[in-house]
Amino acid sequence: MSALVSTPYFGIFLTVFAYWAGVKVQKRTGLVVCNNMLVSICLIIVVLTVFHIPYESYYAGGSVINMFLGPATTCMAVSIYSKLEQLKKNWLPVLVGCLTGAVTSIGSILIMCRLFGLDKATTVSLLPKSVTTPIATAVCEGQGGIVPITVAAVIVTGIGGNLLGPYLIKLFRIKDPVAAGLGLGSASHAIGTAKALEIGETEGAMSSLAIGVCGIITALLALFFDVLL
Amino acid sequence: MKILVQIGMVFGLYWLSQCIEQILPFPFPASVISLLLLLVLLVLRVIKLEQVREKADFMLGNLAFFFIPVSVSIMNYIDVIRENAVAFLVICVVSTVLTFGATAWAVQLTCRFLNKRKEGK
Repeated sequence: MSALVSTPYFGIFLTVFAYWAGVKVQKRTGLVVCNNMLVSICLIIVVLTVFHIPYESYYAGGSVINMFLGPATTCMAVSIYSKLEQLKKNWLPVLVGCLTGAVTSIGSILIMCRLFGLDKATTVSLLPKSVTTPIATAVCEGQGGIVPITVAAVIVTGIGGNLLGPYLIKLFRIKDPVAAGLGLGSASHAIGTAKALEIGETEGAMSSLAIGVCGIITALLALFFDVLL
Repeated sequence: MKILVQIGMVFGLYWLSQCIEQILPFPFPASVISLLLLLVLLVLRVIKLEQVREKADFMLGNLAFFFIPVSVSIMNYIDVIRENAVAFLVICVVSTVLTFGATAWAVQLTCRFLNKRKEGK
């Protein structure tokens, strides 16, 4: 068995298949909780556990896919670039909002990590969790955090923001669609943006703008994590 | 061939960013350097959007896929998760609520300020 699964093609096949299944499940159910990434990860873990396949065997193929992570992040420049006109039009509210959001997120997480007495590795894994996965994981890795914990926190945050979004808009009495969109994007990245797009066009556009801007601001703020911790 | 050149460009850019990461005196992730680099090149029109569009659309459309292998390693950290499950959940939910509120209020205040200044003129 171990000889059969230690070739890289096994991991690549399993990942593609699980991702395909994850996308199908999300489309079929239409539920936010059935996030395609979450479904694929769970599916792979179940397969590996049931057949007693060690993570290392899977990662022989997984590492090949992992190589594309960096270049995939590079491509986010294209999505930011295509929204540049909107950024120019609203630059002040976007910058003020995203900076406030990033600082609030990092600050509140830091305080709560202290209260719960979490260690340094876990804390730096959680600090960037409000921004989009590629940037959050890059920040986590650079600070010596545990990448899979960051990914899990990013997904939980996204799903939370998506589900709570409409209630938060009411709770904080947000009337301005620009404010609601930027709030959703900076609190819960792409998964929150899916909800913003449902609420309205302006909300959706502003939310997706916030993904990139908050990501870059958080990466810059991470330079000072050493001072904070 | 077109796609191959695009792949080459993005990978080349990423390699360049890794080199920059090595030179920088402070730790800054290569992936974010490459993002900023491509953004600057697009803004300066050194690279045109058409020259990277297909590759970028493919990568961005399937972004979640590239994260799966590293995320599966969470199975090696089940103990850390189980021990801190309550803390993780509270931190995720509370910070999401606070971040949303702070951002949205900051934006509303800024917009109000801008409108007043416009009316004042």
